[in-house]
Amino acid sequence: MKISYNWLKWYIDGELPAPEKLEDILTFKLCEVEGIEKLDDGDSILDLNILPNRAHDLLSHQGVAREIAGLLGFKFKDPIELYKLPEIKETKLKIDIQTPACRRYMGRVVRGIKVGPSPEWVIKHLESIGQRSINNIVDATNIVMYDCGNPCHAFDAKIIPDLEIKITNAKEGEEFPVLGRDAVVAKLKNSDAVIADIQGNTLAIAGVKGGLKSGVNEGTTDIILEVANFDPVAVRKTARRLNLLSDSAKRFENDLSPEHAEYAMRELSATILEMCPNAVFEEIVDVYPKESKPHFIEFETVWINQYLGTDISESEITELLQKYGYEISGENGIYNLIVPYLRLDLVGPHDVAEEVARLYGLDKIQAVPLSLSGKPKVNETFAKILAAKEKLNVLGYRETITYAFRKKGVYEVARGVGDKGALRTNITDGLKESHELNNHNAPLFGTEDVKLFEIGAVFPKEGEITHVAWIDKKGVTEMTLDEFVENSKLQFTNYALDKSTADQKFIQWSLFPFIIRDIAVWVPQGVQPKELADIYKKFGTILLIRDPQFFDEFTKDGKTSYAFRLVFQAQGRTLTDEEVNTVMQTIEDEIHRQGDWQIR
Amino acid sequence: MEEKGALHPITLMTNDIVRIFDDLGFEVATGPEMETEWYCFDALNVSKDHPARDMQDTFWIKQTPEQLAVFAKEIKSDRPVLRTHATSVTARELERAARENTFPKACVTVGKVFRNEATDVTHEMQFFHVDGFAVGENITLANLKSTLLSLYKGLLGEDVEIQLRPSYFPFVEPGLEVWIKFRNRWLEVMGAGMIHPNVLKNAGIDPEKYQGFAFGGGVDRILMVKYDIPDVRLFYQGDLRINQW
Repeated sequence: MKISYNWLKWYIDGELPAPEKLEDILTFKLCEVEGIEKLDDGDSILDLNILPNRAHDLLSHQGVAREIAGLLGFKFKDPIELYKLPEIKETKLKIDIQTPACRRYMGRVVRGIKVGPSPEWVIKHLESIGQRSINNIVDATNIVMYDCGNPCHAFDAKIIPDLEIKITNAKEGEEFPVLGRDAVVAKLKNSDAVIADIQGNTLAIAGVKGGLKSGVNEGTTDIILEVANFDPVAVRKTARRLNLLSDSAKRFENDLSPEHAEYAMRELSATILEMCPNAVFEEIVDVYPKESKPHFIEFETVWINQYLGTDISESEITELLQKYGYEISGENGIYNLIVPYLRLDLVGPHDVAEEVARLYGLDKIQAVPLSLSGKPKVNETFAKILAAKEKLNVLGYRETITYAFRKKGVYEVARGVGDKGALRTNITDGLKESHELNNHNAPLFGTEDVKLFEIGAVFPKEGEITHVAWIDKKGVTEMTLDEFVENSKLQFTNYALDKSTADQKFIQWSLFPFIIRDIAVWVPQGVQPKELADIYKKFGTILLIRDPQFFDEFTKDGKTSYAFRLVFQAQGRTLTDEEVNTVMQTIEDEIHRQGDWQIR
Repeated sequence: MEEKGALHPITLMTNDIVRIFDDLGFEVATGPEMETEWYCFDALNVSKDHPARDMQDTFWIKQTPEQLAVFAKEIKSDRPVLRTHATSVTARELERAARENTFPKACVTVGKVFRNEATDVTHEMQFFHVDGFAVGENITLANLKSTLLSLYKGLLGEDVEIQLRPSYFPFVEPGLEVWIKFRNRWLEVMGAGMIHPNVLKNAGIDPEKYQGFAFGGGVDRILMVKYDIPDVRLFYQGDLRINQW
């Protein structure tokens, strides 16, 4: 959500901290700030990642300003009193709600408007948050949405017979051209809620998108303003299915308070009056079948501390909440918090605890160790897996974790990635591929035959089960974990967890071919193979990518021959024989310098 | 005598995690990778149509009637899914704690999870999560902070710092992001918070009587940070050159 810093300033009665400072405050008390963009006119645009539970009240500048004012202990400058209208005329507008998807519908006819460009401030504000100006009336509906959070819409009144509209279900299969430049035609279903005229012509998809034909155009003189509230699930289903994820749909699907419509209508009317001073406003028609009731949360300050593990005094808790702007009443540790109507996220005392934690400062909550008594119970499954891994490891098998997805299987995923659309029914298939891959690299592991294993879940017809599989040149074996544990007589009554002490950094392997050189050297008896290994390591350069592998030894006539295998490989390129020859030459020169050592 | 093999780094870190939590008194828990929608979402207060369900790109399992019969054995019905987080194990263990009336109860699990998303150096279709909880009469947010500090100090060294930032997950309230400072960089490593009363109720635990915390985060990512591993996909190629420790 893009928020203009200068726009916020309208509503904060106090010195708003610089954008970077604000970023810090928001990060630790509200949500992630994904970025700050500096505009040429000096404004800064903050990109806030509004959390889903605060999308009821924070997808607007006023919402964010109210929050910041609360966090800083400033007053929120509510402009509502400034929104005044001249004489209001009677109206013939009729509104009929025929679907529970509409929770409130406020309509107002405005006559004598003049469609044209918007005032400079409107264009500037819309553009600052990446929106484009269309015309004054459409801009008014948009700016009110970005300002107070409630989506609004304007219809051309001339095309609505008798000024009668209903909120109802669409006709199954109806094709509806939507407002916008892309000439999109939405195919509606009868589960979609729409705004329609009395002849049944659809005017807009409720809460999602207006219609191409019913929108405001250059010749429009009379309009019907819509400020409504729609059911989040209904809007979400329709918007997702039609892939019309408008800013309006985004707000409704997050559940807005129907109470807010009144505020938005007042703001919208005043904004249009500013643009069209000669416009004539008619009465608002407000259909609100089930009014939402104000509610409060009872909480105890002792309980808040018990929940958070803190020791915040009663007076500090009440002060934190009041400074934020909450109305609370009560005494002796028991209080009622009146939930502001926009704050649909506040339901129970745990929500009050969250507010206190946030306002107090999560960084001030001290770490207190848990005191759990007694030695925890051993988990048999985990102990078996651990014992099986250790057993195979000791036998020289290396562990791998291959993909759980295969081309074929019993259980298939509904929407897969690439051609691997099924869950594996065995480990063997993946393990064989891994064996083949690693055998190409056998010299890198200092072995002729790479031995490997995997333990993990497989998904045959009867459901999920943990298998053990291992492979070497003799073949592959796979069985259930329980069979393996039983066959190997493994104990699983405790965990043997060695502390891993490894700290060395990961070494990225080269994707280019390696070159092998075997070298055997006659040395006088008593010389240890390590002395040779040290020379290889010292003169092997970085191209020598693993420890020299000692593979043969024999003694004859008082001399011993030690044979080593050296593996060379370069990062990022194919190594040439010439390069390796040069390295080998340095090694051989060094061996010759030892006097009576001889290369075989 | 054969030369010893080499364990996969995920296994090594799993063992480290288990040792740290075993010392703190947490039991190890395990649970299925192919999970029911109930334990993966509903039990965790993720309502059917809530946008929070979009936060996960999920592998749903196609079902034939006979496959459905296998799942019908599960108590709370509905669609099979590859778990998107190991918090499903938390949901199961909370239910067990209620059934067996064993409080306080603290569990940790490390397991494979799945996300249906395009893969790149930081995204994989399968990876590992560490998830856990502690529930009792007086288990607090301050205890959570201490527990996670023990975890990350144990894994990454004593000079690790920890920070909690506000966030949202349907199964906790307050909901927090856990950040750690490692080698002078702040990194987001986990989601955590106090278990939402609805999650306790769904498990059959009285939220008036018991409270607790839960946490969950990536194992692969910690390995990548600790050892400077550049690509998460290296863990699952079947290439043994990843076993360097």
